[in-house]
Amino acid sequence: MSTTVAEARPRRSIARWLITQIEIRMLLLTLVVMAGLSAVSSYFLTANNLLNAMDQSVVVGMVALGQTLVILIGGIDLSVGSLAGVTGMVLGLSIPHLGLYGAMALALASGAFAGLINGTLITFGRVAPFVVTLGMMSIGRSMAYVISGANSIGDLPPALGRLSTDVIFGLPVNFATLLVLYAATWWFLSRAKGGRTLYAIGSNAEAARVAGLSIRLWSVLAYVFSGLMSAVAAIFLASRILSIDPIGGNGLELDAIAAVVIGGASLFGGRGSIIGTLFGVFIMVFIRNGLNLLNVSPYWQGTAIGSIIIAAVLVERLLSGRMRG
Amino acid sequence: MSLLALTGIWKRFGATIALAGADFALAEGEVHALVGANGAGKSTLSRIISGHIQPDRGEIRLAGRVLGHTSSRDAIRSGIAMVTQETSLAPDLSVLENIMLPRMGMPGRLQWQRLRRQARDLLAELGQEERLSLDVPVSSLSIGQRQMVEILKALALDSRIIIFDEPTASLSPLESEMLFGIIRALAGRGHGVIFVSHRLEEIFAVTDRITVLREGRVAAAGVPTDRLAPPELVRLMVGREVSDIYARAGRVQTVPGGVVLRVQHLCSPPQVKDVSFEVRAGEIVALAGLVGAGRSETVETIFGLRRATSGTIIFDGKPFYPRSPQDAIRAGIGLIPEDRRRQGIVPDFSVRENLLLAHLGHHRGFGLAYEKRMAAARSLFDLLGLPEQRLLDANMLTFSGGMQQKVILARWLLLAPKLLLLDEPTRGVDIGTRSAIYSLLRRIAAEGIAVLVVSSDFEEVIGLADRIVVMSDGVSVTEIPGDLVDIENLAMFAAPRSSAQRTRSLLEELTESYGGVAYWIGVDGKRLFCFDRVGEDAAADPGFRSGGFVEIGASRIAAAIARMDHGFVLEPDGSRASILVPIRGRRGHDMGMIGLTVDARRPLPDAASVRARVESATVPAALGSANFSVAA
Repeated sequence: MSTTVAEARPRRSIARWLITQIEIRMLLLTLVVMAGLSAVSSYFLTANNLLNAMDQSVVVGMVALGQTLVILIGGIDLSVGSLAGVTGMVLGLSIPHLGLYGAMALALASGAFAGLINGTLITFGRVAPFVVTLGMMSIGRSMAYVISGANSIGDLPPALGRLSTDVIFGLPVNFATLLVLYAATWWFLSRAKGGRTLYAIGSNAEAARVAGLSIRLWSVLAYVFSGLMSAVAAIFLASRILSIDPIGGNGLELDAIAAVVIGGASLFGGRGSIIGTLFGVFIMVFIRNGLNLLNVSPYWQGTAIGSIIIAAVLVERLLSGRMRG
Repeated sequence: MSLLALTGIWKRFGATIALAGADFALAEGEVHALVGANGAGKSTLSRIISGHIQPDRGEIRLAGRVLGHTSSRDAIRSGIAMVTQETSLAPDLSVLENIMLPRMGMPGRLQWQRLRRQARDLLAELGQEERLSLDVPVSSLSIGQRQMVEILKALALDSRIIIFDEPTASLSPLESEMLFGIIRALAGRGHGVIFVSHRLEEIFAVTDRITVLREGRVAAAGVPTDRLAPPELVRLMVGREVSDIYARAGRVQTVPGGVVLRVQHLCSPPQVKDVSFEVRAGEIVALAGLVGAGRSETVETIFGLRRATSGTIIFDGKPFYPRSPQDAIRAGIGLIPEDRRRQGIVPDFSVRENLLLAHLGHHRGFGLAYEKRMAAARSLFDLLGLPEQRLLDANMLTFSGGMQQKVILARWLLLAPKLLLLDEPTRGVDIGTRSAIYSLLRRIAAEGIAVLVVSSDFEEVIGLADRIVVMSDGVSVTEIPGDLVDIENLAMFAAPRSSAQRTRSLLEELTESYGGVAYWIGVDGKRLFCFDRVGEDAAADPGFRSGGFVEIGASRIAAAIARMDHGFVLEPDGSRASILVPIRGRRGHDMGMIGLTVDARRPLPDAASVRARVESATVPAALGSANFSVAA
């Protein structure tokens, strides 16, 4: 609508301003979920359970971090779960040959490489992201079986396990790593040229191109980052269960996309926040954790989580719509 | 009694009051202009009439009956249809299916045979049966043809009231003229036509009465068009005097500096075929022509949005082949694109970040370095008359078109470019802001920036540019100083080469039969413009070349032009004899003349047979299918 006459800015109180910020709304929503769960289960707010929830949020959090960047440019990466599976396999199989750190480097490199293929096909081949990453999802899962011969790997070095058990600054190493990566990505998205370019691509790629931004480079890099984060997730997954299975990371893409969307990002791109995604991850994990505490049958958990995803996004849309009006 | 009467209409969007008690009355058989600057509420009012949005308060009466339509479907049922700027057609459906689209929302079975007959009758009524086939997909049509489909869609619903919302925004001058003919015909058949526009020439050309809106209120209600003079209308729209919008008065005659951009035989298929021109520092050059002439594509090639396949671009003294806009920006070129919404604005960014977007493309570091540009940004905002606190606004889309364009302009001025390319810089911009943009362009040119403007608005081209490069069908056909040409002759130069093809074959036919040199010219006061010329006989040279313009006295057909005889006229020196036959467009407008000059020392051809030749060649006009005829 261009028909605006008296574009008077309504005076806004600090409370109103706060509620217009997606991050604050997400924080409130997370607190509401926590309050609700602690009301129905006295075990929920115990240190033990919260540590457990932190642990559970690491893998999906890593994948959601990469997914956020891809969704910000208006894309989608369906291959993250199966890439976590295949890069986990790469890690497990190469430890005997390269040592733990060499194997981790190789796993990260192979995740980034798969992301590079995704990004290149999408950006330069102009194939829809959904199609390319759907294909990559199938390839990744199949490669995980091929290179492992469908066997899981059990005897992993204890140093890998320490990533999940050691404590740094009072937090488990894996969770601390997650927070550091989120903080770094937050800085990148709000203060670096590349980050702003990602937002601009998702909001209006043509305008970004005319303004001289390197839209192709950053589009590809978003997918590379997503592939890389799948490998990071695979490492932490292996560290937590000290076993690597070709089926590892199954369904992770859906949890990650759900977390990003709950976190307020638009699937059309250009709108979203990394802190929103972090809270989206927490909400997902808390709810799943709460359902377990309440002894809800696993068969019913899918229905519960699905309904909550839809409800959360609906509420968020209604709220943000009202704020904007 | 009015056909349609709106009284006391109020509408607000959030904090914005778009209409504050507006009234409007439309009579049967009239074309009623609804005008106003951007943000005056004319779009809102027309969308209320068409049922797209509902008023907060107020009454709408259709033929005396109170109307409470709550959707555009209700409005369609009551016989109100709207032809919009962004066409609302389904590109993959055929013309017929699109015309009948609103029928699909109605109960009952579709009878395609009947609908087809009806559509064909409508086409015939508007004289468009040759221009438009019912069975091609809409995606294959030109913008002008698409608009025709929209009009047919409205007529197929038997609409009594048709609203045209900025209908000429993307039409060529000649297509616009054709549209005006149709609008007049609709009014003649008793339809009520509401014409929303802010182009003054159009309003005076086509409407019977004018209602002016300003800031949501009626500034003038239903004034007969012939009782209003253009300056008065502008005053009503803007609320103050706007004199000389092209800022000619403030035009300082500066001597242009060195050549900043030189383009030679530039080719970037399919639209850009052979373009040559240059722009000097401190000079405003316009690329004029019709939609589809390849002007936007030419500037996009210079800016690195397209690749040149051959030809040279010399920028700042060096060969320049940008591979991306980034190359062009870093070399010192800025582009204000044609489609602000699509190529300019990043809707999820604040005004500040939109302003700094090109800076970000120019900047080489990893961070943002916004701070180092903020001082310059603030002074630019001052210069453009934009309030500084608006910088923090979240959403640029709530701005008026003029404000948006100012922000985009500021985006590029911030980088202090050597060359600024502007593609239709005043499209969708109200007259007050237009005037501000023109004086700003003068100002930056005076500071030594080379300015290249693409525009379809010939009045703007003539008013603004120091030099005009005319393009037609991807070729730069001529170059004229801005103060030497008038709109008619500019339009003739810009005529598509393809449709001037039959004029060309007539010229070839004439030289083949009679020898000498044949040409198509236009005359404007003391000057003569040559649109096309065939024949190389030096003894019959008329003294001008194709694409050229000369003082009539300096040509070798001065006597023929002075006499305008039916037969051959001998020039005073006795060397040449010329015959000139005026031609007119189908609607009787002057299309210049066809001439033949021969060597007078040889026997002259029979004048009557030459005339008959020209007369019998029913040359299609420069405008597609409108036919030439010889003036009586």
